[in-house]
Amino acid sequence: MKLIKHFRMRDCRLCITLSIFVSILLMVGCGQVEEAIDAEEVGTSEIDDDLEVVELPPIAVAEGDGLPDQLPSDLEWLTNDSDPEFASVDAIQGGTFRTTMSTFPLTLRLVGPDSNGSFTGYLRYNNFGPVSFHPYTRRAIPAIATHWAFGSDGRSIYYRINPNARWSDGEPVTSDDFVFAVQFMRSEQIVAPWYNNYYTDRIRDVKAYDEYTYGVQGADAKPMDEMHYNYGFGPKPRHFHVMSNKWVEQYNWSPEPTTGPYHVGEVSKRKYIDLDRTENWWANEVRFYRNRFNPTRIRIKVIRDVNTAWQHFLKAELDTFGLVLPDFWHDKAQGEEFDNGYVRKFWLYNQLPQPSQGMYMNTNESMLSERDVRYGIAHALNFERVINTILRGDYERLPTFQLGFGDYDNTSISPRTYDLVKAAEYFERAGFIERDDTGILVRDGERLSFVVSYGQSHHTDRLVILKEEAKKAGLELELQLLDGSAAFKKQQEKKHQISWGGWASQGLSPRFWEHFHSDNAKRTQTNNITAWADPAMDELIMQFRGSSDLAERIELAHVLEQMVHDSGVMVPSFQVPYTREAAWRWVRVPKHIGTPTSGSIFNTQANSAGIFSSGGLLWIDAGIKEETLEAKRNGESFGAETIIQNDYRTKI
Amino acid sequence: MSVLNLNPQTIKQLKRFRSIKRGYWSAILLAVLLALCLVAELLVNSRALMVSYEGEWYFPTYAAMNPGTTFGLDYAYETNYRELRQTFEEEDEGNWVLMPPVPYNAFENDLRIGSYPPAPPSFEDQHYLGTDTTGRDIVARLVYGFRIAIAFSGLLLTFNYVAGIIIGCAMGYFGGAFDLLFQRVIEIWSNIPFLYVIMIVASVVVPSFLTLVIVMAALGWMQLTWNMRTSTYKEKGREYVSAAQALGAGNVRIIGSHILPNTIAVIVTFVPFSIASGITFLTALDYLGFGLPPPTPSWGELLSQGTNQLQAPWIVTSVVVAMVIVLLMVTYVGEAIREAFDPKQFTYYE
Repeated sequence: MKLIKHFRMRDCRLCITLSIFVSILLMVGCGQVEEAIDAEEVGTSEIDDDLEVVELPPIAVAEGDGLPDQLPSDLEWLTNDSDPEFASVDAIQGGTFRTTMSTFPLTLRLVGPDSNGSFTGYLRYNNFGPVSFHPYTRRAIPAIATHWAFGSDGRSIYYRINPNARWSDGEPVTSDDFVFAVQFMRSEQIVAPWYNNYYTDRIRDVKAYDEYTYGVQGADAKPMDEMHYNYGFGPKPRHFHVMSNKWVEQYNWSPEPTTGPYHVGEVSKRKYIDLDRTENWWANEVRFYRNRFNPTRIRIKVIRDVNTAWQHFLKAELDTFGLVLPDFWHDKAQGEEFDNGYVRKFWLYNQLPQPSQGMYMNTNESMLSERDVRYGIAHALNFERVINTILRGDYERLPTFQLGFGDYDNTSISPRTYDLVKAAEYFERAGFIERDDTGILVRDGERLSFVVSYGQSHHTDRLVILKEEAKKAGLELELQLLDGSAAFKKQQEKKHQISWGGWASQGLSPRFWEHFHSDNAKRTQTNNITAWADPAMDELIMQFRGSSDLAERIELAHVLEQMVHDSGVMVPSFQVPYTREAAWRWVRVPKHIGTPTSGSIFNTQANSAGIFSSGGLLWIDAGIKEETLEAKRNGESFGAETIIQNDYRTKI
Repeated sequence: MSVLNLNPQTIKQLKRFRSIKRGYWSAILLAVLLALCLVAELLVNSRALMVSYEGEWYFPTYAAMNPGTTFGLDYAYETNYRELRQTFEEEDEGNWVLMPPVPYNAFENDLRIGSYPPAPPSFEDQHYLGTDTTGRDIVARLVYGFRIAIAFSGLLLTFNYVAGIIIGCAMGYFGGAFDLLFQRVIEIWSNIPFLYVIMIVASVVVPSFLTLVIVMAALGWMQLTWNMRTSTYKEKGREYVSAAQALGAGNVRIIGSHILPNTIAVIVTFVPFSIASGITFLTALDYLGFGLPPPTPSWGELLSQGTNQLQAPWIVTSVVVAMVIVLLMVTYVGEAIREAFDPKQFTYYE
């Protein structure tokens, strides 16, 4: 009896102590599994009972807005048939390209609830707009439209549609599809408030003048290419959508016809989605689109874990794999597949807009309102050490707030570097001379100590090094790791001292108003998280925003960028101006590997990052595939191959 | 023994405890570890134990920071004593530095150009268990992490036991409506999912040592109440309690001087297990990222680093081995105490 009791007691206690750990882990793990199963099929049969078909209202135009009733006769029709082509004439059509996504999408709709997952990107890039942007020159190039013209009011734009353009179901694309796009995006039935607002507030009018000509009026005057970017939305197939109160459910798994090269083919729930090449695609022989989008099928498999996906890749079940992370590039991408050249490694430097990453100082804080303190901090941050140690020299120092916008970049700015002498000088000027017992500088009992709040736990490594190095300059950084949304909220409410993070950059030109205009300094929930207010800067920002003259805008952007640097409110940290990938030998790309605006090398879709038409350049060579697999079986080697393309590398 | 004037029952229990070798030695080892932990600065530290410079002696361990200029170096920040030792050795002018056995603290990044962290164990660099992903010494992280975990556990235990004993005793002693009410309160309170509360707290404020203790105590005090309630209930029915009541003793006196000493066995047997669960809780929370803020040394954080860096097995091995050893020892002690205090030791069922 005693023995039995003894055992029970011990088992019980051990169980409790050890299982606490496991059970906590399980509690957290479970959420993800259930979420995945949520992608349950929504039947369409049972919802037909109370279906109310809705007729969308005609385009409502506010007072002061509106396009002319007749197409203006003085329009100057423009096009772009002079910029160079960038696809390879050697490309071979055919084959299946196999890639992966981490979760199965919750819907195949482009808008509405749950439609912002990663798979939506594939659908979006196949929903062509009237124009696209050249990946080298960054100028507009024809897409669905062949020509465009700008209205005299500075905010309208007219497009002439390519009469050959077809939806993937064979229906022609007409002006009416663009009018429908605005009606659709403004409708309540799609349950997409952001789009509802954008297409009402930003897009003021749309009008079809004939079957292949239409006009759009936006809210503000902008330079020409910016007009395309802001007002050049894609069409929606009127013949496909029946709008009703059940639209969201009804169209959840009915993919819309596309105007791009691929449309959704076979869908195997939770396993994979196929994108099939549209037969006789209308743009097959169109300049800028020929010799691209070569695989006839793209199979996107669901593989939840990146390490599992890596194993699939090594077994040649995936054609390519991203290697941007240092441990993948340096440590994991090794072995016979690489040594024998069955898999090739690629490193392509690009010139995409860089996220504005760094430390943002809240100038509402008394110490941080002093310029000398801010400059001192900048000189006390040892980014170089972080780069050269844990980042393995792979990242680069971001020299300034915004970079990667071509001519808009102010390349004369160099960042403040780690320099204990300069840091001491600036701190001394601010009155910080003495050090306390812990080695931190003090001024009248006030310690030179700041809280750095951030939301990405994997950045702790970097901050820990900065913190230790800053101590040498007598600066204390207290790290405050918050949950991502809490960190964002904190900086939006301007309750932070120093915020570590970055703004994603996109588009054609840098943005200053949201980050540095004094209007946004006083209010919370704005992107001016440094609370920076400078009347001189305000004036230039407004001039920059209002100007539609490219040369003037470029000059203003240079001056403004310099002012940001001089203010010292933001210490730029890192940039990753490249992509690194591995691909099996049979995946071929043009000789130039990619374009300056390629976000990834082995991208099958029209855009590989942002707005530039830089993707879809690869092809699959069946002959080389057979040869490679044969060599792999026999253990023959082609010799390891690592291709580094740094033609587009920005020299600092 | 006689000096302490312990009652014969306790002496018997102590003897019994000593006779259980596994538990006894675990207790001694744990006590030694705890004692060493308290003076960890003397054993694992980047500050020297002693510096002899130009005839003067310095003891930097617990003193204010000495800028490099103190020792004739050209910087105003804290002296790097490891470098200083090397400099003195090279100069050979009679100056010397005595470093602790592990010459690193838990925060500094020992990063070398040309090699990338984590670095494998190396006796030459005195990283006996290697470094973590930012080049911090794992021994230092383990030692200081242990100290924090034990302190956390001890504090949590105190809060939980004070609340648990008071409320549990009161429930058992007074019974009736008070007992019923608290039973329901505890049942409801126990259903609050503690992890979600921690997650919510962590999303609003950065959890500090004290906030974590308070949140966990607020959600963990119920455990002991049930046991205390039962034991008190049982004791209350005994004649000595009636006798004390008949003599006119007050409730506080009866509970404090008569009932509590007789339920002490229940409390004591739970202590080691509570300590073990405190350590695992903190480790689990740190592992999930809801624990103490970085760069606080912690076992959970090391564990999460280790599981993400399986190509650097020394990280995960070190922390798992350390954890298993400590938890095993605590469990052995718990077992031995339970057995020593078991009143049924000489009872046989026939």
